[in-house]
Amino acid sequence: MRFFGRLMFVLTVLLFAGLASSSSFAKAVKVGVVLPMTGPIASFGQSDWKGIKIAASLKPTVLNGRKLKLILLDNKGDKVETANAVSRLIFKNKVSAVIGAVASGNTLSGAPIAEKAHVPMVTPASTNPLVTKGKKFISRVCFIDPFQGKVAAKYVYNNLHARTAAVIVDMAQDYSVGLARFFIKAFKKMGGKIVGNTFIQTGDQDFSAQIAVVKAHHPDVIYMPTYYQELALFARQARQFGLKQTIMAGDGASEEALIKVGGKAVEGLSFTNHFDPKAAVTPLGKKFVKLYRAKYHEDPSAMAALGADAYFVVANAINRAGSTNRIKINKAIRATKGFKGVTGIITLVNGDPVKSAVIQKVKDGKFVYVTTVNP
Amino acid sequence: MNKKRNSLLTIASIVALFLFLWYASAHFNKYSIRILNDIAIFMMLAVSYNLINGVTGQFSLEPNGFTAIGAYVSSLLTLTAAQKHAMFIIVPMIHPLDTLHLPFLAALIVGGLVTALVGFILAFPVFRVRGDYLAIVTLGFGLVIRVFSNNAISVTNGPLGLKGIGAYTNLWWSWGWAVFSLIVIMRLVNSGYGRAMKAIRDDEDAAIAMGINSFKIKMIAFVTSAFFEGVAGGLLAHLITTISPTLFTFFLTFNLLIIIVVGGLGSMTGTVIATVMVVWGSELLRVVDQPMHLFSFTIPGVPGMRMILFSVLLIVIMLFAREGIMGQKEFSWNGFLNFLRHRKQK
Repeated sequence: MRFFGRLMFVLTVLLFAGLASSSSFAKAVKVGVVLPMTGPIASFGQSDWKGIKIAASLKPTVLNGRKLKLILLDNKGDKVETANAVSRLIFKNKVSAVIGAVASGNTLSGAPIAEKAHVPMVTPASTNPLVTKGKKFISRVCFIDPFQGKVAAKYVYNNLHARTAAVIVDMAQDYSVGLARFFIKAFKKMGGKIVGNTFIQTGDQDFSAQIAVVKAHHPDVIYMPTYYQELALFARQARQFGLKQTIMAGDGASEEALIKVGGKAVEGLSFTNHFDPKAAVTPLGKKFVKLYRAKYHEDPSAMAALGADAYFVVANAINRAGSTNRIKINKAIRATKGFKGVTGIITLVNGDPVKSAVIQKVKDGKFVYVTTVNP
Repeated sequence: MNKKRNSLLTIASIVALFLFLWYASAHFNKYSIRILNDIAIFMMLAVSYNLINGVTGQFSLEPNGFTAIGAYVSSLLTLTAAQKHAMFIIVPMIHPLDTLHLPFLAALIVGGLVTALVGFILAFPVFRVRGDYLAIVTLGFGLVIRVFSNNAISVTNGPLGLKGIGAYTNLWWSWGWAVFSLIVIMRLVNSGYGRAMKAIRDDEDAAIAMGINSFKIKMIAFVTSAFFEGVAGGLLAHLITTISPTLFTFFLTFNLLIIIVVGGLGSMTGTVIATVMVVWGSELLRVVDQPMHLFSFTIPGVPGMRMILFSVLLIVIMLFAREGIMGQKEFSWNGFLNFLRHRKQK
């Protein structure tokens, strides 16, 4: 028995020694990351995290050599979990800043906690305009939905010379309903006319009713801001029924599966996006793409690039703030001006970036870069 | 004698609970307080869901729809006209709604009543079917609510959702309502109505043959459960201060279903235990997601590990306690005291 007691004692001492050695990097600057690593939108969170990890390997330290330590918490793509995670990071881990979340609804539930505790929060991919509205500590590095809708309207009006458009909305997706509304607003303002507005549901297989509506109105272009699955199926059926108009979509189209399912039918399909690896203009962007390809053997998605940008903006701000004081860091984040990030040159105005969007297109079974639209 | 002692013990434990909350609200950090609030709200949701699903035995999948209605109604009522005006940027809000404003408690109760009304109307088509068909009909109802909240933009602000809802929910509101709903539902279950509900669960045809008006009894369970789910929705909205259609997907119902099955279908105290386990447990398990340093080894964190561990735990519980933690039994003071006495004798 005495032997056992002694053994326990030694083990306990060793355990504490082990724990102590891990906390000897106490000087590290802690930044929390809240992403959907599991759940229905996990693929977005996973991509974001890949981008953040590459960014961290490119720039691992801040404030002259202090390590930037990332604490990743999973929010399962859920509002309640996001609020819990953000509050855990702030009140338990005492982080200097928070990066996250992805879906706007989730970010909105974490934001009031950060705002109240005066902790800066930078979201990589929440495009809902309400996320930063009226907030002093919430910023983002992606453009907002009204801007994406406007870019699409501008492109079809000026470059495709479309004057009439049919809009097809996935009414089960908040993303789709919002984006379509902003497109319609912008397109009408420019002098265009919406001639058919019809709806689908996520998971629909048969689009003949919608195709009939579109066909009856002979629009110049079809705007369909839905996810890739429905887009691909719709395109196939539309081409069969002889619809030849260009289909314009949003960043939800940016997935290889679009081409796999759509095949020839999606040739010429264009969409707005945050980032194109071929259009990476900044030195940081080029370096990021190279490193990303070397590590993961694939092109970085827009999500990964945005995740990296969120990291870089935070790290850069900590350096400019010259301390780990949360309020000073937030001031520096909000004052970000002309920062040469991965997805372009970022200037924050009231927490929203003023930056360009890219237009991509399917050509010969590949996504190709068409043009960059500046704000 | 026993009855009097038991009610005294119950009252004493409620007092003890509130003393603990009083201590917690002053000394715990905001993160722990948030978890306590989550537990109370999910307890309320799960207990009222268990009334219809476990006690009455109607396999219904409606809570996400009912919670959504309660959350939307009460938060639209507590938001001020100026806030609504600033938020509805796609389409302005339709008239009377944009200027309506009520204090928190009134908004919660109105939210609950509207949900109960919807439950009342819904019951007519829903209870024409039984079993699996009932599940499908109520599942469809949840989808309808979701599509409505996404597309009725002039009422719900559509996909943008509502934000800036006052953070009125604190420990007193959430636990006050949770304890209140628990008492009401336990009293209902232990009344003649409750026995009729259990009779319907065990054999609906036999219950009807015994003269039980099965439609009326099911209606009582459904409307009660709708009312409390609506109020819980309101509390949830005022805790996380933002709602949008994505909050009320089938996953919400699914979580509640896990809670009531783990706790024991039909057992309210089992539901309470399971809620604490599921809500607090999933936060505790976050540790396994993090990279761990032991001696000089580093175990890299695998995000999602806690979900795997959680699933394993669920499987173990279901294997060894097939009817859930409590089965159909309830915690009772008699049983508890007997258990203590028994141990002493040993």
